Amino acid sequence: MEIKELRGLRGVVAAVALLIIFVGVISSFIQLEGNVARGISEEYNKLAYRMAPNNLASWLYDYRGFDTLIETGVIYVGAVVSVMVIGRGLVGLKGMREEEEVAAAPPIALKTETMPVLLKYFALPVVILLLAYGLLVVTSASTSGGGGFQCGVIISSAYLLSVVAYGRRSPLNMRKKALVAFGALGWGLYTLIGLPGYLTTNFWQYNVGADLWSGLPSFPAAVPEAFRQIFGEPFKLALHLEEGVYYATSGILPIINVAEAFNVIGAICLIFFAFVYGWSDSAEGVEK
Amino acid sequence: MSETVVNLWSIPLLVVIPILTAIVLNLLYNRVRAIRVASVVSAAALLVVSIVSPYGLQWFTGQPGVASDGSYTYSTSIFSWKLSLEYYFGPLQQILIFTSSLLLLFVVVISTRSLKKDFGPYVAIMFLTYFSTVAVIMVNDFYHLWIVVEIGSLLVAGLVAASGAGSAQKAALKYTFFSALSGSGLAIALALILGITGYANISDAISFLMMTDLGNMYNVLYISFAFLMLSWIYAGGLAPIHPLKSDVYRSAFPHATVLLQAQSKVMLVAIGLVLLRMFGGLPFAREAMLSISLLTMILGVVMALIQTDFRWILAYLIVSHSGLVTVGISLGTPLGIVGGLFQAVNDIVYMSVLLLCCEMLLYFNNGTSIRSSGGIAKKVPWLAAFAILGAFAASGIPPFNGFQSELILIQAALGGGLPEVAAVILMVSVSTFIALFRGIYSIFLKPSTNPLPEGSESASSPPRGMPIILGILVAITLILGVYPQLALDFLTESAVKVVYVPWVP
Repeated sequence: MEIKELRGLRGVVAAVALLIIFVGVISSFIQLEGNVARGISEEYNKLAYRMAPNNLASWLYDYRGFDTLIETGVIYVGAVVSVMVIGRGLVGLKGMREEEEVAAAPPIALKTETMPVLLKYFALPVVILLLAYGLLVVTSASTSGGGGFQCGVIISSAYLLSVVAYGRRSPLNMRKKALVAFGALGWGLYTLIGLPGYLTTNFWQYNVGADLWSGLPSFPAAVPEAFRQIFGEPFKLALHLEEGVYYATSGILPIINVAEAFNVIGAICLIFFAFVYGWSDSAEGVEK
Repeated sequence: MSETVVNLWSIPLLVVIPILTAIVLNLLYNRVRAIRVASVVSAAALLVVSIVSPYGLQWFTGQPGVASDGSYTYSTSIFSWKLSLEYYFGPLQQILIFTSSLLLLFVVVISTRSLKKDFGPYVAIMFLTYFSTVAVIMVNDFYHLWIVVEIGSLLVAGLVAASGAGSAQKAALKYTFFSALSGSGLAIALALILGITGYANISDAISFLMMTDLGNMYNVLYISFAFLMLSWIYAGGLAPIHPLKSDVYRSAFPHATVLLQAQSKVMLVAIGLVLLRMFGGLPFAREAMLSISLLTMILGVVMALIQTDFRWILAYLIVSHSGLVTVGISLGTPLGIVGGLFQAVNDIVYMSVLLLCCEMLLYFNNGTSIRSSGGIAKKVPWLAAFAILGAFAASGIPPFNGFQSELILIQAALGGGLPEVAAVILMVSVSTFIALFRGIYSIFLKPSTNPLPEGSESASSPPRGMPIILGILVAITLILGVYPQLALDFLTESAVKVVYVPWVP
């Protein structure tokens, strides 16, 4: 739709609709100010320290962990669909005459030889620093702000910077099949990490490492000690509180964060790859 | 209240199997045999799970509920606020998921035999579309409802764009752009409901509203109702965005449209029931829902009457019949809701028959235009027979299933003191018959006036087994038409719960 189409009656209707929505939303938020019901959030906050000092990690990857799995799926599906539009996995019925396919957009002409020398020398250390920062963010997801999403975005920007600065000779030159596999590994691992909880308790994604609830009388199953050890011990934390030192483990949360990071790296870099180089099934890594 | 299991084994399988299958199929990419085996086995497994599963809840991540005294419990006979994300699998879910699973199996069998090129990602998107369909009907949480609608919109765009045709990609892009509004609408509704109640769990939010005097916060509740309704309209393709959705239905391959229309109907049911449970008591809420439904029915069928392509006719009829589903839900009475739910099941089945017949026309008629050569009945009599039987079911002619659900809807409208709604339902039924038989006569029954030139027919034969698949689907329309109680037994409990105990999932 072009802007000129919004002139006249259609534009008036659109403007009035937007105005109504704007007034409705703003007046609601004004009314809610100071009146927000705390509801279940108080309970979440009360419990969070027993698992991960970073409350957000407990919220996102444990209490609401299955939500986040599907959000991760949104990123994965976004990449699959975007790259499909560029040309990966387009289909047709056998023996049918096809409507003319959309001409694929030409790859972006990256002229890295014209990049200033200073920038070329500057880019490599920045890429290394970004990679290190991404790893730091994902490994400390349970204890401080950050996590798999953030790590994925940081490492993707390192990839982007290296491709812009060095083109095909980028030190981070990941092949498209590897990027597809990264995304699959990420979403697949996140999905499968629900299996230990399911096999032992029938609750999908029950955090068998942290195991906060199997002591309750109404808990319907028992978590074997071996599962608690395997998924709990490696991620044990010592919390130094005024009341003393308290030990807790975030269990499967660090693994989920790593999976999340793989998914985001695979998805974002794949979209970027497809838009820069186009898509050709026959020539892996060769520009169109 | 009877004790319900909170760690039902089948619910995770119904959502995780399609996700894992999709990941594997996307990796397999162009390995035809492996894709075929993996997808058929997976679809068959999902069908079996949907049949054998008992009823119950799944509290994902296994966090307990918080009882009124602050203690934690896994017992459903004690009132508690849920910490976990909650899914429910009951009779309504079973019949809708069984129907979706059966269609997924059929569509996978058809597509893996009829597609060329690298169809791994395409079949992967089909499995994820199925995932969004089953998740949306089981979920009892606003936040998750939002995410499922969001991912569902993306998947629709993917299935449509996959053909690579210019018109399909344009339709997909337009739909993606506007369906973003659906997700945004739900996100705002969620934010406001969370602000008012503090609970994302739908049952908990309803319980909170019943226990609390909202005072002047009712305005905010109305705004959240409006946004949730906006997302209902966009997710289901109701008026006034029906042209976008019909464009999507027409642009995808007909076998993909089978899954897309099933997803839309199930989303309409899922969000519609949430609207009723949460806001059904608000003055004018049901009236607003009913108005949109009636408008959709009328606009859809009128547009279908003026089309000259069988695909377009079906696309608009799917939209119009979505209005039939929502009109029943909007009536808000147990009988009306049963009618709406039954209509959803029936509609999914008979539209699948017509869509698959439409796909066969691509092989036997070299197109779906009603101005094409005609005389297909002479060439492929079984296809003509299935198309006619499907059209009978869609038009509400006894003894097919459409008749039974439309009869219930008309009774519910009359019982609710709305004879004008009953008249519109009748009008839609008659107009559906005219629109469909206009197309069927031109394509199948009219003597061939302009035979296809030699060599212009499809070079490929249609996928094997299509008559069997169509036969099974037509048999279902007939069985449900003769013995509707078979489906009604699954639907009545849900309808009664929505009206009398809306806080129970």
